[in-house]
Amino acid sequence: MLIKVPSVVNLGLETIKVDVEVNLANRGLPGFEIVGLPDKAVDESKERVRAAISSSGIDFPAKKITINLAPADIPKEGSLYDLPIAVGILSSVLGFPIPKNSLFLGELSFDGSLRHTKGALLMALFAKEFRFENLFVPKDSANEAGAIKGVKVFPVENLIQLSSHFLKRKSIEPVSGQKILDALPAPAEFDMREVLGQEQAKRAMEIAAAGGHNIIMVGSPGSGKTMLARALPGILPPLNETESLEVTKIYSAAGNIPPGGSLITNRQFRAPHHTASLVGLVGGGARPHPGEISLAHRGVLFLDEFNEFPHSVMEAMRQPLEDGYLTISRSKQRVMYPADFMLVASANPCPCGYLNHPKKICICSPLQIKKYQKRVSGPILDRIDLHIAIQPVDTTEFSDNQKNSELLESSKAIKQRVVLARQKQEKRFENDSIQSNAQMKNTHIKNYCKLEKDIEELLYRASIKFQLSARSYMKTIKVARTIADLEGAEEIAISHMAEALQYKPKIYEL
Amino acid sequence: MEQVIGIEAQKYPRLLKEIGNEAPKKLYYKGNWEEFFPAKAGSRSAAGENCLAVVGSRHLTSYGRKITEQLVTEIAAAGITIVSGFMYGGDEAAHKATVRMGGRTIAVMPCGIDIIHPEYQKELYNEILEKNGLIISEYEGKFLPVNWTYVQRNRIVAGLSKAILVVEAGLNSGSLITAKYAKKYGRKIFAVPGQITSEVSKGTIKLIKEGAEPVSEANDILKFFKVLVNPVKRAPSSQNSQNFVSSGLTKSGSLEQKIIEQLKREPMEADLIARTLGVSVAKIGTALSLMQLKGFINQESGKYYIN
Repeated sequence: MLIKVPSVVNLGLETIKVDVEVNLANRGLPGFEIVGLPDKAVDESKERVRAAISSSGIDFPAKKITINLAPADIPKEGSLYDLPIAVGILSSVLGFPIPKNSLFLGELSFDGSLRHTKGALLMALFAKEFRFENLFVPKDSANEAGAIKGVKVFPVENLIQLSSHFLKRKSIEPVSGQKILDALPAPAEFDMREVLGQEQAKRAMEIAAAGGHNIIMVGSPGSGKTMLARALPGILPPLNETESLEVTKIYSAAGNIPPGGSLITNRQFRAPHHTASLVGLVGGGARPHPGEISLAHRGVLFLDEFNEFPHSVMEAMRQPLEDGYLTISRSKQRVMYPADFMLVASANPCPCGYLNHPKKICICSPLQIKKYQKRVSGPILDRIDLHIAIQPVDTTEFSDNQKNSELLESSKAIKQRVVLARQKQEKRFENDSIQSNAQMKNTHIKNYCKLEKDIEELLYRASIKFQLSARSYMKTIKVARTIADLEGAEEIAISHMAEALQYKPKIYEL
Repeated sequence: MEQVIGIEAQKYPRLLKEIGNEAPKKLYYKGNWEEFFPAKAGSRSAAGENCLAVVGSRHLTSYGRKITEQLVTEIAAAGITIVSGFMYGGDEAAHKATVRMGGRTIAVMPCGIDIIHPEYQKELYNEILEKNGLIISEYEGKFLPVNWTYVQRNRIVAGLSKAILVVEAGLNSGSLITAKYAKKYGRKIFAVPGQITSEVSKGTIKLIKEGAEPVSEANDILKFFKVLVNPVKRAPSSQNSQNFVSSGLTKSGSLEQKIIEQLKREPMEADLIARTLGVSVAKIGTALSLMQLKGFINQESGKYYIN
């Protein structure tokens, strides 16, 4: 007896249909075999399925069972085939037909219940595109799949419940009118008003958030770099619908959506440590997996102690910083992961950390400092729009008013401006393939950043005086555009350009 | 031909010989020795006769650097030879300011004469030789610098000079060792006062307490050398074609004027200016950029200075 249960395989962010063919043969010794390039997790599904069916009070058929995952030449991985395999066997034992136009995905527990399984969203997208009407997924993954409108998602709790549904005893209600719950809220650890002083750095953060600019902070230990970065999520604009789907896809593929979560609507903040491996950061592996930079897609990648990251990591980030995606090529497959993130880096100015510190003396020689600063490769620095120097703050020198954080601007107030500036950008780039000012290429700059003659002259003089490279020149214009957007101005004015010059690359003189 | 001067030679620096048995037996050199120490002993006009040692911390603050440049430029312009130890920080600032203005300088190396130490200051090294300066050392060939050679070098720096100017020095610093030698050899000691909270002002303040003369302008030192010059007012760097500049130029009460008032008291970073004046940092940033382009102010290690 041959039963076909449709499911999918996710290769990176791509989804391909897989037929789980279940054959129960009456001849031959009883046994259980899976073919079709299963990996270890798929192969172990035999034990889970056997136990789950038994604990559901159903006799496991003493037949020679062979499962084929077709197409047979694509490697399958993960635990998602537990459900289709079990459904195939149950359909034979209990004698119900497999509903048409349905897809199955889910990991089984020994007790017959279903566990949250990664990739539900990708399957739902696939279902929508290829007109599969019904999706049977674990209850915990139903919200995730249900985020896609136009497909019926059945939340399955356990095998008994599913069997009664198919035997038409008690049907499962499909998830509908899904209220979008934020899967991963990104609570900022600090409110901007908690950061005392650092006015210029805060302003730079606002500009970075508004235009999606990369930013680097250089300052002594304890000057508040990390705190500023951690406060950043609180002023980031929310993801729009398309962005939200893009991000959720990556998280779904990586299995990073928590049980019960649906769409991710907040910009994610990823802060990998500098000892993280290259593959962990940029993605890869024998079966390519998204790395931290992809998980930071449309969000923030915070690299603390930037100089400490290995050279290989920094070099690997160059392509994604430029293109907004990363291609991982393996001999058998090629996977493209989007990685359009905002880079927030922080670094010490010198090995001891106290260069230019108001109280402490730096004990590094100029040569050491040069070597240390050279560890950040030029091409990477060249892709960073905002450079700020952070000085430690002595709050004892503050007046009571200045110390009173209630009087400072809150993240919420800053966020409002940021959101408005982003809306302006979205409107501006309606017919372009970009979303923010930071992504502008030279043609966009020509179109959207018309400079009056005197502004152009100001920039020209500045480029001579401050020795700006051609790329820095363009970056300054982009930053000025964002500053103008924050102010709600249509055209870039002299004041915008002058302020943008504050965030130019700094040369740390001794 | 090896360029070396023995202690018995006529050309041996007179002042250095006076320090008695501490005087180096031999001096290796690069550059034109006769320019500084001609054979006719006691020629008062020779460059080597009027030497001022200028020493400062390796970790010179931006204040120290600015003062060194200012004082040395004026003093060297008056024809005084600037002697220092070619280390980075204070020494390097002194040598650099001298060669930039076309003055005479002697660099005393802590290593063999054929080595440039620190090596990345090669450019400055060549510049000194090109601009008629002198490089000397008591060590031959490729002798590598070790802890004690720095200290020994300092005694030559002090010995060659009539007076010594300490710009910034921490306690237990090489600069104080040089000052100690200078005291021992009976040389005049000048020190630049700094903020008492600064680590690198502690040494100079100690010197002043012990009787060193505080310096506030180049004339304080030039008087000692019996050369009096009119204080050179450094002409503000010329600014031509200021069309966008002239528009908002410093009306009294304007933001720019207020910023200048603040910076006159002390150099500040943008944050502090914004905080003090109670103006948004965005506006301050705009003003600072424009003022910088106009040449009113300058930025160094995060802080803004009046030009």
